[in-house]
Amino acid sequence: MVGMPAHPEPAALLSPACVTPALQITDLVKRYPTGTEALKGVSLDIEAGEFFGLLGPNGAGKSTLIHCTTGLAQPTSGDIRVFGHDAQHHYQEARLAVGLAPQDLNLDWFLTSEETLDYHGGYFGMPRRERRERTKELLEAFSLTAKKDDRTRTLSGGMKRRLVLARALMHRPRLLILDEPTAGVDVELRLELWQYVQRINAEGTTILLTTHYLEEAERLCSRIAFIGDGQIVAQGTSQALAGQYGVANLEDAYLELVGRNELSRARIDDEAAA
Amino acid sequence: MTAAQIRFFSLLRREVTRFMKIKRQTLGAPLLETFLYISVFGAALGSRIDQLAGVDYVVFIVPGLIMMAWALNAFTNNSSSILQQKFQRAIDDQLSSPASPLELLLAFSFGGFVRGMLVAILTFLAASVLIDIPVEHPPVLVAALFLVGFFFAQLGVLIGVRAEQFDDVSFYQTFVLTPLIFLGGVFYSAALLPEPFQTLTKFDPVYYMIGLVRYGFLGYAETNIALSLLFLVVVALTLFGINWRLFSRGYRLRV
Repeated sequence: MVGMPAHPEPAALLSPACVTPALQITDLVKRYPTGTEALKGVSLDIEAGEFFGLLGPNGAGKSTLIHCTTGLAQPTSGDIRVFGHDAQHHYQEARLAVGLAPQDLNLDWFLTSEETLDYHGGYFGMPRRERRERTKELLEAFSLTAKKDDRTRTLSGGMKRRLVLARALMHRPRLLILDEPTAGVDVELRLELWQYVQRINAEGTTILLTTHYLEEAERLCSRIAFIGDGQIVAQGTSQALAGQYGVANLEDAYLELVGRNELSRARIDDEAAA
Repeated sequence: MTAAQIRFFSLLRREVTRFMKIKRQTLGAPLLETFLYISVFGAALGSRIDQLAGVDYVVFIVPGLIMMAWALNAFTNNSSSILQQKFQRAIDDQLSSPASPLELLLAFSFGGFVRGMLVAILTFLAASVLIDIPVEHPPVLVAALFLVGFFFAQLGVLIGVRAEQFDDVSFYQTFVLTPLIFLGGVFYSAALLPEPFQTLTKFDPVYYMIGLVRYGFLGYAETNIALSLLFLVVVALTLFGINWRLFSRGYRLRV
């Protein structure tokens, strides 16, 4: 038995779940009825288990990409696969695998915190007993137990943010999409959320994060893609991106992307010194 | 239960929970309204009106009021619920779930259907305390009320999905539904109307609905019952077909 690995890793690596990308987007085009082309042929692969960051200015197409993946928008052309499931033709399998914590705190005003989680589980076909256990577990994990009978409308901003994240996790998705999860969140909650998502990522959940906080992306994401004007313009680790743009850090690489390198803090410091 | 059944019942439970949490507005208000109609039109005015179709005026109008309660509540519930959820974007939680277009459509429809049914039953019970209401043809009555409820539930879903602001919903209710329902003969027999209104009434689908419900309660028929039922089945299924197609295409729900 000497030398036997504690976990059968080679076998696990060969299993389809490990080989199939968590998210595979090919030539995705989204043209809105107004004529606006929000996505102009996006291709993107996110491997299972990755913590992937999607960065770009407002209006670059981040939310549209997320909406196409989760069924909230219909792609004009192209292909989206979630763990191998076609998000359009086999949407049920694909959506079961995705949890979405949207940017807006789109909670149902008529429901309590507990009902929010329970109903979400129901929409995803979870049996009652499983819903009850999972709801209890998540209310506890997000410090919402004391507020379980409060209507969502009466919760504070931070609590709503937690509940939106708990709701996304309710059906145990394998791919968690976080659309600007820390916008307008206080320091404590931001650190708490970071710890929590890092933990579930370590436990095997793939994460796609969009954020405007470059420090957040640098700290959490193993790989980052820049999206600008409906296209993926660069992707790699944060060092690779900086290298690609010939700058020192992710922020400067981002500023190069949006064509605003005059805002570079390093550059301003250099000019002040000179 | 299968996953599909769990999804459907959760979606439906959400719709029922919504109106039960605001029952003063969703059940209480319509009950009061119907009670006022019965008091004013039935008791106060009715004493000065001769019998219609062999029954007291107040008894004559109760079937129409019960039908109107079911119809308007089914419509209002669904149009408001869908529009509110679109506004808050809370509907994204349902839309990004594995629920199929048909599961979503049926759950959104039956929310209003159930509310309409509750108001109709409560109205019937309350009216029964005050006056003696016959039920001559229960199978026709139940079939007619179910079809009316289903039709208006579908109409509510359609308007809720189409609407972009609350004004759109109240426009349909005030300028389309209320006139159709009132002119369909809730408060009178169309036979009493002068021409051309008597003929015009025959183009109002609500006229046939009221005819059926009144036949179910009172046994009094102004229209051909079998044809009216067939007509109602056809219009209800047509509207359902249109909605199903719109939901499958994601019309105004999935941009």
